[in-house]
Amino acid sequence: MLINKEMKMADVIHLNHHLLPIINRFGIQLGFGERTVQEVCKDYAVNLDFFLEIVNTFHDPSYFPLRHLRSFAPGMLIDYLQKTHLYYLKIKLPEIAQYIRQLTTNTDMDPNHVQLLQDFFTSYESELSAHINREEQRVYPYIRTLEKALQTGAVMTDYPTSEAYTIHHYEEEHDDVESKLFDLKNIIIKYLPSPVESRLFNIILHELFELEKDLNNHAHIEDLILVPMVEKMEKELIKAKSNQ
Amino acid sequence: MARLNILCIESSFLLREGLKTLLGQMGKPFSMEECDVVVDDLAKVLRKAKPQLVIANPDMLTAIGAFPREMPECDHRIFYTGLVNEQTADKAKARFDFLLPVHADKLSLSRRLEEILTAIFGKTADSETGTLSERELSILKHIALGLTNSDIGEQLFISPHTVMTHRKNITRKLGIKTVSGLTVYAILNKLIKVEELQVSDRHEAQL
Ligand SMILES: [Fe+2]
Ligand SMILES: [Fe+2]
Repeated sequence: MLINKEMKMADVIHLNHHLLPIINRFGIQLGFGERTVQEVCKDYAVNLDFFLEIVNTFHDPSYFPLRHLRSFAPGMLIDYLQKTHLYYLKIKLPEIAQYIRQLTTNTDMDPNHVQLLQDFFTSYESELSAHINREEQRVYPYIRTLEKALQTGAVMTDYPTSEAYTIHHYEEEHDDVESKLFDLKNIIIKYLPSPVESRLFNIILHELFELEKDLNNHAHIEDLILVPMVEKMEKELIKAKSNQ
Repeated sequence: MARLNILCIESSFLLREGLKTLLGQMGKPFSMEECDVVVDDLAKVLRKAKPQLVIANPDMLTAIGAFPREMPECDHRIFYTGLVNEQTADKAKARFDFLLPVHADKLSLSRRLEEILTAIFGKTADSETGTLSERELSILKHIALGLTNSDIGEQLFISPHTVMTHRKNITRKLGIKTVSGLTVYAILNKLIKVEELQVSDRHEAQL
């Protein structure tokens, strides 16, 4: 079932509570009362169509938003992606790291095993940070430059040159950040001896599944929406230049 | 058990959903990438999805030459199943490894899918039991210690290519893809000791 603007926001959460962090990312908080999606978006000054496309992409991975989403301002999409990055780096990763640290107080767990988990997760954190930094420092500024050039009609004389960065490079080098997460899940599910009191283990595993789902959706937006959108911008710029 | 990656190229939403429902009832974990438009660059789509199985509407692949069965980016062979109906030409059918008649009833469809999956993966391949052979254990140990394929080949007197094949099998059996993941497995199973690891060896290379 697709989420539409007439639905009550409270019903959206009942339908799929995994959407909560996504909705929070727009600055929207709980306490919706009887207000509809449209009303809540208006209250928080959130672009309704953009909101609907993003939540539906997450809610139903087979939903293809391409045609609509590409018509949004690139800046809006980048803002959303950056908020997602922030959520991973500042909230989710520290939270999971905290849970793993708490395992040390569990007396029936081998301290060496906890250490192994900690080391593994730390190296995952740096892998994900590096991935995100590459995007924020290289890719997003590039897209903002293109957006500006298209808005002002300024001709980028140095664009494109053979060695210049294009979104094609990003598409090629955009590596997956889920392999290690996948391994971590399997190590916990299959190989690490579980403590008798497994509540914390279950929480960690649950968090890893949620993070993986979120990351998959994020990569989906980057590969299937961001890249085609920028390809289109590049083509327009080349055309504008040849018309000069 | 490794997850089955399927790429579905079919414009009909109902057909794609129906396939997912059927596959979901087979009891084998899978993920399905979906493509609802005519494909003009199959190689590109394959590189992204890395599927073991492509289930496609023949009409959506008419612009494609030979179907790639192997790709450097994939460590497995790619199989093709055609979604066919009474109108599908024999020539179009011949391009596929398997056929799935879309108008068949549910029971025959499930049986046909079961046959296809068994033909691709075998019934009870040892990959499903997760036990590693002596050779694989020894290679795993070397990987965990941070050795490269050619280092391992030299020490065990086998070609780097053979090492690579063993690595793929290890990954498939254990469900662990990265070097750091394999290292944790090796330590947990006492194949190596933590003290044997050098910090510099804990590189992040992936299989
Ligand atoms: Fe990202
Ligand atoms: Fe990314």
